[in-house]
Amino acid sequence: MSTFKKYALVAITIIIAIASIYGYREFNRKPADVSSLKTQVVITADSIIAAYERDEVKANEKFLGKTIVVNGVVSEMNNEHDTLLNVIIGNNGLRNVSCLLNNTQLENYKKCSVGKPVFIKGICTGFLADVELNRCVIVADTIK
Amino acid sequence: MVFFLQVCTSAQTKLFTKTGTISFFSKTNIENISARNNKVLAVWEPLSGKIEFSVLMKGFEFEKALMQEHFNEDYVESDKYPKATLKAVIENSNSILLTTDKTHSVKVNGTLTMHGVTKPISTIATIKVKDGIASATAVLPVLLADYNIKIPAVVADNINKKIDISINIPAFKSL
Repeated sequence: MSTFKKYALVAITIIIAIASIYGYREFNRKPADVSSLKTQVVITADSIIAAYERDEVKANEKFLGKTIVVNGVVSEMNNEHDTLLNVIIGNNGLRNVSCLLNNTQLENYKKCSVGKPVFIKGICTGFLADVELNRCVIVADTIK
Repeated sequence: MVFFLQVCTSAQTKLFTKTGTISFFSKTNIENISARNNKVLAVWEPLSGKIEFSVLMKGFEFEKALMQEHFNEDYVESDKYPKATLKAVIENSNSILLTTDKTHSVKVNGTLTMHGVTKPISTIATIKVKDGIASATAVLPVLLADYNIKIPAVVADNINKKIDISINIPAFKSL
C-alpha cells in the first residue's frame, strides 16, 4: 500500500470516528438548560400580558419560542410532589404569566413567596388562559 | 329557594383546569418517542356537555432535544400553528352529578384542530367523581397523515403512523 493510501485510510477512519461521535452525541442531546441560554427579551409580567391581550399573533411573533426574563409579583405557587413546580406572576386578574419550573429549581422555588417580586427566565410557549413559560429558572439575583 | 337554586346552577355552569396533561407515545422497532405537556387548559359545561381543550404545541417536552426540535420545526410547525384545540360534546353529561361518587364511561364526539387541519374525532372517556371533584381520562388515536403531518422518508421507520394521545385531567375546579 502506498504512503498516500495509508494516510488517506487513516484520515477517512478519523473522519468517520468524529462523525459517529458527533452523531451519537447529537442524537442523545438533552434539551438545553435555560439558565445557560442567552436572554432574548426582558419584560414585565404586565407588559407581556398586555401584548398578548392586544394581539396574540403579533405577540407570538415577538415572544414565541424565545428565551425571556419576566419580572413581576408572585400571585400563586403550586408544588405537586416536588416534581411539578409552577409559579404564577402578575396581578392582572384573570390573565397572568404562568411559569412551569425546571425540576432542578426546587431549592429556588422554596425561596419564593406569594406577594414578593421575582425574575423568572424561561421559554415562552404562547398564550392560553395565561402567558405560558416553560423550563423556567428563577434568576438568582431576585432571591438573595 | 329560587335564589339558592340559581346560585347552585351558576356555580355548576363551568368547570375548568389549567393543569391538565396531554402525552403521546410512538413505538417502533427502532425507537420509542414520548412527550408530555402539563399545561392543558380544559373548560367543561356539565349541563350542556360542551368540553374544550387547548394546548400549546411548544409546551411538549421530550427526553431528547433533537426530537423536540424536529417535532416543533418539521412536523407540527409550532411557529405557524402554536395551538391545538379539541372541541367536543360529552353524551349524557348532565347525568354526571358532582354530588355522587361514581365512575362514568362516556362517549365524546367532536373535532380536533391541529397543524391547521380540523377533523372529527370520537372516543370513550372516563369521568370519575370523588368527594365532589371530577377527574377525567381519555385516549385519542390520531393518524399523522390526517393532520397533514409529513414524516421524511429517512426517519419514517422511527415514527409510528398512528399516535395515541392520552388526556388526563386530574381535577376540574369551578370557574
